[in-house]
Amino acid sequence: MKIVILGKGGQGVIFFSRIIAQAAINRGLSVYSTEIKGMAKKGGTVEIQMKIGQGMCGLVKKGSADLVILLSDDLIDYAKTFGNNVFTFKKEEIQAALERVSMRFVNIFLLGVFVKRAKFFEMEDFIKILDEENRESFLKGYEYV
Amino acid sequence: MQKLYISGNEAIAYGLIESGIKFISGYPGTPSSEIIPSAQKIVKERGIKAFIDWAVNEKVAYESAYAASLCGIKAAVTMKQVGLNVAMDPFMNSAYVGTDSAMVLISVDDPGPHSSQTEQDSRFFAMGAKIPVFDPSTIQEAYEFAKKAVELSEKYSIPVMLRSSTRVSHGRADVKIVGSMPVDSIKVQFKTLKDWEKKLWRYAATPRQRLMLHNKLNKIISEIESLNELKFFFHGPLLLISSGAVFSYLYELIEEYGLHEKVTLAKADMPYPLKNFDFPKFQRIITIEESTPVIELQLCTEGRRNGIVPKEGELTIEVCEDILEKIGLIKREKRGSSPPLKRPSLCPGCGHRIALYAVKKVFGKKAIYNGDIGCYTLALNFHVTDTVLCMGASVSFAFGMKKAFSLAEKQQDFVAIIGDSTFFHSGIPPLIDSVHYRVPFLTIILDNKSVAMTGNQKTLSDNKSSFGETTAPIYIEDVVKGIGVKFVETVDPYNFEDSIKTLKEAKKYLKEKAEPAVIIFRHLCINTKEGLELNPKYSVKISKELCKGCKVCVLEFECPAIEFKDEEKKAKINDTLCIGCGCCIHICPTKAIVLVE
Ligand code: SF4
Ligand code: SF4
Ligand code: SF4
Repeated sequence: MKIVILGKGGQGVIFFSRIIAQAAINRGLSVYSTEIKGMAKKGGTVEIQMKIGQGMCGLVKKGSADLVILLSDDLIDYAKTFGNNVFTFKKEEIQAALERVSMRFVNIFLLGVFVKRAKFFEMEDFIKILDEENRESFLKGYEYV
Repeated sequence: MQKLYISGNEAIAYGLIESGIKFISGYPGTPSSEIIPSAQKIVKERGIKAFIDWAVNEKVAYESAYAASLCGIKAAVTMKQVGLNVAMDPFMNSAYVGTDSAMVLISVDDPGPHSSQTEQDSRFFAMGAKIPVFDPSTIQEAYEFAKKAVELSEKYSIPVMLRSSTRVSHGRADVKIVGSMPVDSIKVQFKTLKDWEKKLWRYAATPRQRLMLHNKLNKIISEIESLNELKFFFHGPLLLISSGAVFSYLYELIEEYGLHEKVTLAKADMPYPLKNFDFPKFQRIITIEESTPVIELQLCTEGRRNGIVPKEGELTIEVCEDILEKIGLIKREKRGSSPPLKRPSLCPGCGHRIALYAVKKVFGKKAIYNGDIGCYTLALNFHVTDTVLCMGASVSFAFGMKKAFSLAEKQQDFVAIIGDSTFFHSGIPPLIDSVHYRVPFLTIILDNKSVAMTGNQKTLSDNKSSFGETTAPIYIEDVVKGIGVKFVETVDPYNFEDSIKTLKEAKKYLKEKAEPAVIIFRHLCINTKEGLELNPKYSVKISKELCKGCKVCVLEFECPAIEFKDEEKKAKINDTLCIGCGCCIHICPTKAIVLVE
């Protein structure tokens, strides 16, 4: 499976991607990814391309992604260059994340939302690898949907 | 054996430490910066005794690691590709002199370039120096080749290069790691060597002896070359040769398009020195490699020189696809173009912004601003940087340009802008010349006590090493005064009034005394934990009534937390981005930006 995850510096995009990768590795799948963070700290784009269970490198060709996960709405046009299956978060979901967990865990809350809604992965895969604080936020997101 | 999901740079660190490397130096530079912190972490966790820390620049890093290797300690040095330019002198020489233990240079290239000044190919420099170079294609290979590089260096007693690139260094994969680390004690010897007298000539060779050393090096290189075979995959009549990350793209594309019967793919683990091959059974031989035709020149194949491979830019997987199409192997659909992404700007609340805004206010738009390499290069966006060349060139440019203008008897203000670590790296020598030749321009040293752009590494102002040992902080003021600069002032740029006052004094000094002046703007990088915690916090808002929509705050100050609402023609603060530094209250012409009590 080829995934692209897009967001901005400070959104925890990299952590988000590493959890997904770890979940796949625990299932015995190979994972290759590439991180383009440029000047991410300065609000720049953070782009993770990832291949799970296939290939030799993390690069995902334009137009070939099975799934694009978008954490920052303004990158939608860019997201579509990778593939048509773009997963976005609804306004209410982001609002709920901001209200229910502290800023640091917003990405993990959204990961929970993603896992439930996208049905690409199993909840258990994540429960196993997250520490307590993260697990709590993850479940809040998962149950919110 | 364990499996870890790690980056290429972490994989390299594991490879080095597992091979018994005990001395690593380097200078930060994207995409190489994570190797040293990763290695530090590994040895700390396992209680391995080692020296692994940053040097003032790449030349010093190379020389000190090389010196350690001459004393019998396995050593390595890390840098980005342009850093190798700075280390060129010891690099070239060390090939002749050779080593007594392992000496591995890790140079990370950045085709694209994504965050560099050039697309230079470190493999080409290795070839120029006659130093063998490994070029990993995957993260797993980054780990394995780091070990091979150490082995080869020890075996032949010459330095070996491990070339990585952005895609390998910043890629991640589940890597198989042996995980056992040697905890042997460290032994050194130099003058105590038994046959010291016989060896001595090598360490301080005369030109005539250098010729002998060159001859010895040539013999070693021929031997390594004779053993360096390509690896072959698939079995078609067309031979494609590659190395590095590009090999993995080609491999994937051959599988994707089912070209197994049409193409043979060859891989050079070590692109230099390459054994000369006879390829009679192939119809055509094309090398597809990044960024200089290193394999192509050695094996005399088609590729870059006859226009099949683009002469510039990263060979992304898409570009490799284009190349396969050009050769006539595949047909593919047209791709759409990508929309441009938002340009980066300095962080909200960054001290550089308000400092440089003050500089612009006093020196005006007509002054020429000679910038340098660091976060502050982004001052380009709000017109306080006119030139950027390479590390330290801000000061030499201000020197050279000011001299040029004065030869033509033309008055012109020059301001050199340089960060603390770039100043130490290579800003000091040109400042010495400027003092010596009494060239009047202002040097602004932006001191945030961090190598911010490459991930906030420690600087010379710290009183602790990365291992917590006491270090002697180096004070920029002392250095600048020691050189002989008489106007040296230090200001916290958050004190805007002070900044303006000091800048005006400097301007006056330059005019009256006609000698160089230096202002140090000191404010911690707010992208560090300490910097953010110590930063003042205000609540700031923009009054709708007072805002005239002049856009000074977005175009001339450019805090990303200030957004311009086109519908209302008013500026507005984005509370999720704003860190409440309060700097912007100084810059609005109509005083619409105010503190909320
Ligand atoms: S990382 Fe630090 S120095 Fe760089 S822009 Fe951000 S605050 Fe400024
Ligand atoms: S500088 Fe002041 S007046 Fe001009 S747009 Fe910004 S807030 Fe409005
Ligand atoms: S207070 Fe002003 S300058 Fe500081 S971060 Fe907020 S908007 Fe930017």
